[in-house]
Amino acid sequence: MSPDPGATPLLEARGLSAGYGRTEALRGLDAEVKAGEIVGILGENGSGKSTLLKVVARILAPTSGEIRLDGVPLASLPRRTTARRIAYVPQSVDLVFPIRALDLVLQGRAPHARGFSADSAEDRERALAAMRACDVEDLAERDASALSGGETRRVFLARAIAQEAEIWLLDEPTAGLDPRHRLEFLAVLRRSHRERRGTVLLVTHEVDLAAELADRVLLLRRGRAIAAGPSATSLTPENLRRTFGVEFGVRDSRFFQVEGLSDRQSLDT
Amino acid sequence: MRLWPRAARLRHPWAAALLLLAGSALLGLFTGGVHLSLPDLWSGAGPGGQTARLIASLRAPRVALAAVVGAALSLSGAAMQALLKNPLADPFLLGTSGGAAAGAALAALAGLSPLLSPGAAFLGAVASSLAVAALARRGGRLDLQRLLLAGLIANAFFSAVLLAVFSVASSAAARAMLFWMMGSLADASLGRVAALVPYAAAGAAVLAFHAARLNLLAVGEENAAALGVDTEGSKRTVFLAASMLTGAAVSFAGIIGFVGLLVPHAVRAAAGNDQRRLLPLSAVSGAALLVAADALARSAFAPAELPIGAVTAAVGAPLFAWMLLREP
Amino acid sequence: MTLAPNLTEIVFALGAQDRLLAVSDFSDYPAAARRLPRVGGLETSAERIGSLRPDLVLASRDGNARGVVQALEASGIPVLTVSGESLDAVLDGIRSVGRRLGRSEEGDRLAAALERRREQIRRSVAGLPRPAAVLLVWPDPPQAAGAGTFLSDVLTEAGARNLLGDRAGWPVVSAEFLATAPIEALVLPASAQTRGVYERARASGALSRGTVARARVIWLDEASLTRPGPRVFEALESLARALHSRQDGAR
Repeated sequence: MSPDPGATPLLEARGLSAGYGRTEALRGLDAEVKAGEIVGILGENGSGKSTLLKVVARILAPTSGEIRLDGVPLASLPRRTTARRIAYVPQSVDLVFPIRALDLVLQGRAPHARGFSADSAEDRERALAAMRACDVEDLAERDASALSGGETRRVFLARAIAQEAEIWLLDEPTAGLDPRHRLEFLAVLRRSHRERRGTVLLVTHEVDLAAELADRVLLLRRGRAIAAGPSATSLTPENLRRTFGVEFGVRDSRFFQVEGLSDRQSLDT
Repeated sequence: MRLWPRAARLRHPWAAALLLLAGSALLGLFTGGVHLSLPDLWSGAGPGGQTARLIASLRAPRVALAAVVGAALSLSGAAMQALLKNPLADPFLLGTSGGAAAGAALAALAGLSPLLSPGAAFLGAVASSLAVAALARRGGRLDLQRLLLAGLIANAFFSAVLLAVFSVASSAAARAMLFWMMGSLADASLGRVAALVPYAAAGAAVLAFHAARLNLLAVGEENAAALGVDTEGSKRTVFLAASMLTGAAVSFAGIIGFVGLLVPHAVRAAAGNDQRRLLPLSAVSGAALLVAADALARSAFAPAELPIGAVTAAVGAPLFAWMLLREP
Repeated sequence: MTLAPNLTEIVFALGAQDRLLAVSDFSDYPAAARRLPRVGGLETSAERIGSLRPDLVLASRDGNARGVVQALEASGIPVLTVSGESLDAVLDGIRSVGRRLGRSEEGDRLAAALERRREQIRRSVAGLPRPAAVLLVWPDPPQAAGAGTFLSDVLTEAGARNLLGDRAGWPVVSAEFLATAPIEALVLPASAQTRGVYERARASGALSRGTVARARVIWLDEASLTRPGPRVFEALESLARALHSRQDGAR
């Protein structure tokens, strides 16, 4: 299942800088993602990892540098075209108005829709199938604003599936989930990825999650990449120390435990 | 905080809305201080028939104007609520009403013919909207939070202008202004309705076209952007369309409050927030509501006529309070 | 000082004008009043009045804001409030102002003279047919004089029937009422502004359709008609004459 090492990257960041107002969250980031990979993007808060997702999702425009999709600059493509290939699953959404979970999933069909027509029967079918795949079909008629965190995340994942996007951007998908919901979500994610062979960019600060799920990891600190590569080899205590500023101990190459704070000075060398 | 009662969703919202509109239209035509006799109207014969025809010809334009203004205000309110992700948004929040009133007031002060009043009001509304939009610009984007604040500032500013105009205005201008600021459909004529319709239709068409995008924006700007919507373009367009609808409505009928706030609210409770349904249903319901309100304005203290803004406020405020109390 | 133009006229009529410190903005009758310093319109500020330190302030009960009157009284300045809500009240007002200014003789004399005039007019129209009339203080939006106002008294005592006699105050009436009520006479105060507004309303506004468009229009001098003072009786006389001149050539 590992991607062909010679293939051109699906997504590429070149000298990418982006931020909010005066704060620059990303500073000249270079990175690449190959098709079919699950890439874990690790970093502490403020490292720019969520910003990276937002730039790829075209929610945020870069201040300099670019993202390339299949070698073509993202900014030169029409928004709807990229929306058909890239799906963004946010960490949380503030739903002010009531909305049926099914309608929320149906919104994922928007990039494929034409004009202001009503949802077709086909759209409905796809949406329901996507919800089935994420085990949320029985929530279809319920008000999405009243669902639990875990249920909402799975509804958004269903939306990404309904969107028929080949690239999924997941922003801290397990944050705030209790163990049961976390398990459910990850099971659904794994299953869907297996079935669809898409590309997943997963932002998290749970090192265990990255180690477990990701084929490759990208470690960010202060808007720049510290390390990138296969998770097996790149998740070293040294890299992790530089990313998070804490000492990590590794057990069985999968269980990462925080053992203490590290000396700040040595971080930014 | 959700402000709508968890009412049973209507099975046939369109049937209900159209029925309401038809009922209101009949109410508007047949009530008022003066009795309109149906047999006389039908036969049209003799002095009785003539009087009946006269009354009908006086009321019909009012019903038409009330319907178009009610629809325009409700559409604008619904769009603003979705755009600002705020169920309490109101078409007057963005300073359009203040600008329109100030425009008309200044025109009256300058001694311009009252025929130019709607034009002056419209210019005022447009100027106000553009100023508010400019104030809300932040790094090339239209910042929705700032939009709300800028609108508040605009309204405060225009209130001051209006008070100043009032204090120096001749009693003539002051009287006309007062009745106008509380809303009045008394000057309805088919000509005025015809002049209003293009603006209302244009605004409605633009909003209808953006309905699906508004659905996405109602969940969030990031949400919409990630699904392929040009959020800046859409925000700007929706804002301008809503401002145009409000500006046109205010220019022809003065400041009529609560309609733009309550109608989308009530329709949302009955039929959900899908803009593709909410927008047209709000338009029809808003038309029905304002026609009924106008009928009430003409008959409550007949032969005296209440300013319609007073009626919508008198009915709207308690209604709103009731909705708040019902909130579980 | 006076806070309303009708009160200025009363003071002058009583011959007490040398006691006037300042007058209300619109006091333009008699001509001498124009030379007196102004103290503000119907809505004026208590501080402004107080700063001029008058011994007495004459205020109109219906015209001036109550807050101003209360503020003045609170600061110890005596205020005499005069009501203008009926012709009787106008006469009482003249008498009380007279007494307060130490001119009770002149006050009573003036009131009696006006009362006689009024009685004369009443007698002359008694028994004559009473045309249905509406008195509009403003053409558009059409604001009429209803029951309980001095203008309603003017209408009825001039020998007309006030069609708005069952509605109190100053209602703004609807176009449909004006178009269908059996209006024979429409009475309006004449001024450059009202004439302009009337023309427009008559052409395409609230006065353009139905019975009101066919009614006879009687224009009366604005200043005499709309101020509840001594001159309103002149307006009363003019109105009576205008209403009944067709019936009785001798008037």
